[in-house]
Amino acid sequence: MDGTGAAEQGIAFDRVNKWYGQMHVLQDVTFSVAPGEKIVVCGPSGSGKSTMIRCINRLEEHQAGTIRVGGVEVNDQRRNIEQVRRRVGMVFQNFNLYPHLTILENCTLAQRWVRGTPRAEAEARAMRYLERVRIPDQARKYPGQLSGGQQQRVAIARSLCMEPEIMLFDEPTSALDPELVREVLDTMVSLAEEGMTMICVTHEMGFARQVADRVIFMDRGRIVESAHPDDFFSNPKEERSRLFLSQILH
Amino acid sequence: MTVIDWGYILAAFPDLMRGLGMTLMVSLLAILFSLLLGLAGCALRVSGIRPLSYAMRGYVEFIRGTPYLVQIFFVFYGLPSLGFTLSIFWSGVLALTIWASAFHIESFRAGLASVGREMHDASASLGLRRLPHALLVVAPIALRSALPSTLNTVVGTIKNSAYLQAIGLVELTFVAVDRIAQDFRSTEMFLSICVIYLVVILGVSALGHRLERRLNRPYGSR
Ligand SMILES: Nc1ncnc2c1ncn2[C@@H]1O[C@H](COP(=O)(O)OP(=O)(O)OP(=O)(O)O)[C@@H](O)[C@H]1O
Ligand SMILES: [Mg+2]
Repeated sequence: MDGTGAAEQGIAFDRVNKWYGQMHVLQDVTFSVAPGEKIVVCGPSGSGKSTMIRCINRLEEHQAGTIRVGGVEVNDQRRNIEQVRRRVGMVFQNFNLYPHLTILENCTLAQRWVRGTPRAEAEARAMRYLERVRIPDQARKYPGQLSGGQQQRVAIARSLCMEPEIMLFDEPTSALDPELVREVLDTMVSLAEEGMTMICVTHEMGFARQVADRVIFMDRGRIVESAHPDDFFSNPKEERSRLFLSQILH
Repeated sequence: MTVIDWGYILAAFPDLMRGLGMTLMVSLLAILFSLLLGLAGCALRVSGIRPLSYAMRGYVEFIRGTPYLVQIFFVFYGLPSLGFTLSIFWSGVLALTIWASAFHIESFRAGLASVGREMHDASASLGLRRLPHALLVVAPIALRSALPSTLNTVVGTIKNSAYLQAIGLVELTFVAVDRIAQDFRSTEMFLSICVIYLVVILGVSALGHRLERRLNRPYGSR
């Protein structure tokens, strides 16, 4: 699919396996993502989507196979994990903002404590990214005072402050009221247009059609199908993909 | 019909205030020490180091499962036979501290348990290391949610200082009981000290609630 050179720069999964007790939640997962590529991951609940992307920055451990991010193997070496996390940002379904810190502090904490950025510089960068997600005026408020859509955009800005090369999104709009989904998707689209490497677990098929270079469909811990969105939506090859699409597209 | 002798209360007032001074002194020291020991004990309890964690669990169960008066007698009468002799005052501070620390450990632990997996995920994905994560994210969130029960223990520390009259510490309750033994004015004396305790504790609670409101303001409308 991708040349090995590209895989060295991006993400490469090679026969990755993971079990929770007896349950085999990732089964020989193999794929790669080139720099600048946008991947949408979909599949039924419990199919292993979250587990898979959480393995990329070692929020979960895999037990067999190899994962490389920018040529660095994701294993139990702390140095490797830190290197990978420096390159990879992540946005979660429930935003995961720090509730006791202001929006601005949410965006500066890691800059200051991970990278040792001086306060003024960290705040300037935070404000730049808060402007990018169009909420600079909320900087002094606390997460609890913002709408879900605003909170999720802050979470995106907080990640961007660490200037990652790759962004992971785990169902970033699933916890939002329908009228707030658009503003978050717009932010993600603009990020995609600027060339960010992205892996998004989402069932927003409009978004997938608009930005994805590839859709990966997972079921029961396996990658069942991996195709360009046009092909995937109009002409899914696998029976299970078809069944899934008929369910989410009605 | 008993009529309250206000003049008697007035005459006893300076004595009662001296007793209150002692009550506040032991309580304040015990509150300070127990908060520090509670934090340390909680850290050991959740350290993941088995023997330390079990020791803390045992300590908490022991304190919760035995009468407070017995704990005081153990400190005052028991420790000297083990070679530690303390003055009445420091025995009192120690007994109160031992009692309150156990409850603080449990409050702080409950506070920690309220910090979800989400915070860990956020910090890990940002590359934040363990120590800054623990100090700047987990501790502030945990302490906020532990605050109400911590406040209970603080108030309990002040109230429990009354038991220290049993080892002869001249604190507020001791003063009252001592006067009753001489003058038999129990209504006057118990009414007085009830009011004094109540004023002190309402004051402490009000301070605590103000702190709570201030710390929770950030959480906004949630
Ligand atoms: N910590 C855990 N312990 C045990 N089993 C787990 C754990 N986390 C996930 N699982 C199981 O692993 C499987 C994959 O879970 P995962 O969360 O990756 O699915 P998902 O595709 O993200 O689902 P959803 O769409 O509901 O988010 C599920 O069967 C789930 O029950
Ligand atoms: Mg999931």
